Amino acid sequence: MRLKVKLALFNLLSKLAVAALLLLFMPLITERLNLRQIDNELVEKREEIISMISRVGIEPFLEPEADSSFGSYNILKEEFISLEYAAPGTEINQINVERRLIDDEIIDYRVLSYSLTIDGKTYILEVGKSLARVRQTGRNIINIVVLFLVIVIVVTFVSDYQFTRLTLKPLYRITAKLENISSPDNFDSTRINTSTYDFRELDSSITGLMERIKGSFEKEREITYNISHELMTPLSVLRSRLENILLSGVKDPETEIKITESLKTLQRLQSLVNSLLLIARIESRQFLKEDSFPVNEILDQIMEEIKPLAEDRKIEIESSLKDNRTLERVNRSLIFSMLYNVVNNSLKNTGEGGKIRIETMSDSQNRLILTISDNGKGMDREQVSNLFMRFRNRNRNSGDGTGIGMAITKTIADFHNIQISAESEPGRGTKIIFIFF
Amino acid sequence: MNVLIVEDEKSLAKEISSFLTRENFLVEVAHTGREASEKIAVNLYDFVLLDLGLPDYNGLDLIKEAKKVNPEASFIIITARGAVEDKVKGLDLGADDYLAKPFALVELLSRINAVARRKFKVPDNDIQLGEFTVKINSRRLFCKGAGVDLTKKEFDLLLYLVLNHDKVLTRQQLYEHIWGNILDDQYDSNFIDVHIKNLRKKLNAHAPSPWLETVRGVGYRVTTGEN
Repeated sequence: MRLKVKLALFNLLSKLAVAALLLLFMPLITERLNLRQIDNELVEKREEIISMISRVGIEPFLEPEADSSFGSYNILKEEFISLEYAAPGTEINQINVERRLIDDEIIDYRVLSYSLTIDGKTYILEVGKSLARVRQTGRNIINIVVLFLVIVIVVTFVSDYQFTRLTLKPLYRITAKLENISSPDNFDSTRINTSTYDFRELDSSITGLMERIKGSFEKEREITYNISHELMTPLSVLRSRLENILLSGVKDPETEIKITESLKTLQRLQSLVNSLLLIARIESRQFLKEDSFPVNEILDQIMEEIKPLAEDRKIEIESSLKDNRTLERVNRSLIFSMLYNVVNNSLKNTGEGGKIRIETMSDSQNRLILTISDNGKGMDREQVSNLFMRFRNRNRNSGDGTGIGMAITKTIADFHNIQISAESEPGRGTKIIFIFF
Repeated sequence: MNVLIVEDEKSLAKEISSFLTRENFLVEVAHTGREASEKIAVNLYDFVLLDLGLPDYNGLDLIKEAKKVNPEASFIIITARGAVEDKVKGLDLGADDYLAKPFALVELLSRINAVARRKFKVPDNDIQLGEFTVKINSRRLFCKGAGVDLTKKEFDLLLYLVLNHDKVLTRQQLYEHIWGNILDDQYDSNFIDVHIKNLRKKLNAHAPSPWLETVRGVGYRVTTGEN
């Protein structure tokens, strides 16, 4: 999950939790506050009535007939006051919620009951107030609060998300810089513009690290290049000298063969040095990528080259070329070497009557997949993992190779951003897979 | 023909010089750029073999100088491998060919001859080998008047052996000539053997070809009996 999504989700969840708590406790709190308010009002009313009684006496409040009690409801049944006789000695002073049936309607009232003694008689005064209205008001308030919370959550969620997105943008730019490179050489060292201290530090330390890696790569390449270069002249002298001896006519056939053998050894040295030089030159990007050609063109050329040798060894080369797209901005002779090395390797490791298969197709992401497979002797796991490493892949078959051919192939593939992988099983054969761009 | 070898590595210059002398060239050697510049100013050379890596002189300047004095001179640049830029620049400045170190002496000779043929417009000279005739310029092989169908590689191989007749060529020399050396690591002596085998098969279908010899342990040779 991306960081900005994580942060946004966390923000949203914490807000929802706060809102949920609020909504859970709000009815309780409003109820409490309302009751207290009502109680205060009831007490005030009681004091008012008591002061009225002390002013005008109790008689006007008592109806002459019936049970001598006084009751008054206002029309909407919002409030009532009642005054009744009670057993002498009754003492009561309380506030309760009571359910009363009035005109076939059950209404919850908050009722204050108070006993008072006037002229030796005991009365109970009840002052009541309906709870329906205040409850309704409470519900309305809660509704408004819910609406408010929803709006607040939506607005803050959107703004939070935008803010984190903007703040984290430099971080994503840094990771993108790292994702898009296959080697430190194509690392883009332009600094990222941000006001966030942490990202600036991160960017500059990554850039610094990359520069150092690049520097040491550069140094290694330079050394390889210079050594190889310097070796060319003595090699050249030796070669010319031996050739001169051979050309000036050696009488003794045994000496002639020995000199030829020395030339062969020299040739191996030369090809080793050349291969190292080639790798160093590819890695330091001394080759241009300016060619464009259909992939079949180069495959046909390779098959043409390899045909006489394959026929000689009775090895069949079959091809199934289903994707003939044009390779753009590549180096033709390097691509040729890359593929030719693999085909030639297959040829060397496949016995008489074997088969080499060259296949192209496009995958679901519309990438070009090129596979070169054989039913030769195959490799074990360790050999496969060493296949593309310099010198680790000593050719198991012929003395001609220097064990660096597949390393060259890998270097060329990297240079062109082509993915290369190998599958092999001893006795079953080997398959090399190229995925282009 | 007069050849000037400009090469600061003395032992290499010596080897090239003794080889070309044996091939009947008149050879002079300069070990420094200054020495070369002086020689070029006084003598007319048909060929200058120029190592671009001179310590005291920019080799390309030397070409410019020489062209002023003698526009007819041909240049073959010898350079350590990898100097692609130099190759392009050299050819731009009128160098006729380019050879990377280490090279085969016979390859150098065949480059010189090719440049000479181009320059002096040598008429199509046919080379007779038993009952076969090689037409160099039109790149065709005939046997008793009938064309022999060869692949490009087979013809190149035959022609190289023919032009270097009576010399044993090693498989490496043949390989490098035909395939260049970008595929160094894939050098496989079988390549040459297979192509020679196919070539022989085609030749023998027309007439025997005893002039194409295998020299055991060394390589191949075309014998014309001229030497």
